[in-house]
Amino acid sequence: MVTVQRAIEMQGIPTVLITVEPEESAQARPPRALYPKGFIAGHSLGRPGDEALQKWIILDALGLLAADPRPGEVIARDYT
Amino acid sequence: MEKPLELSRYCVPFTPFKKRLEDALVCLVSTAGVRKKDDRPFVLEGDTSFRTIGGEAVAADLAVDDTHYDHACIDKDVNCVFPIDRLRSLAREQRIAGLTEQHFAMGFSQNLKEVRDTTVPQIARAVAGTRPDAVLLTGG
Repeated sequence: MVTVQRAIEMQGIPTVLITVEPEESAQARPPRALYPKGFIAGHSLGRPGDEALQKWIILDALGLLAADPRPGEVIARDYT
Repeated sequence: MEKPLELSRYCVPFTPFKKRLEDALVCLVSTAGVRKKDDRPFVLEGDTSFRTIGGEAVAADLAVDDTHYDHACIDKDVNCVFPIDRLRSLAREQRIAGLTEQHFAMGFSQNLKEVRDTTVPQIARAVAGTRPDAVLLTGG
């Protein structure tokens, strides 16, 4: 996933990744990445039908676009 | 002729985001094996191709081909891994400007060389062709 992200970023397009595999993602050094703590594969955006939670996570991820750069890091946040 | 330099994996590519989020067109890219229901399924054992998903699609139009992550969430709501309805809702609320006309998804593959050398560059070029201001990526 980070391989795709880095390739898109190299085209001059800002990217942000929502990951549920923070260690694996950090090793691949993403330009920007958010890890919703405790979420597992298949549940990247949380719970089914929980529009408010899903939009909160998306806005947090997109918020990293304009945040202080921390390239290569995965930012962990709690949504419970 | 020497080989061209390749980006070290210790080096992180970084493009500054210059727009306001409210003015940004967003493209969605996923490795969760998502496709339009009427599009060709991904081969579950391994598939290095990718699918294009039209910007008009809603989650109910989408199917997922995967055997590597828990499906309890996506069986009810594909937005769990491919939040296209939620991005459209954010566009209606003017939190983002809108969505690009195309989004992209790839499936599972262990053929990492072909993915890296062929699929990833193809997706990156296809994404650039939609002229997004930002790209949101999701795994499973």
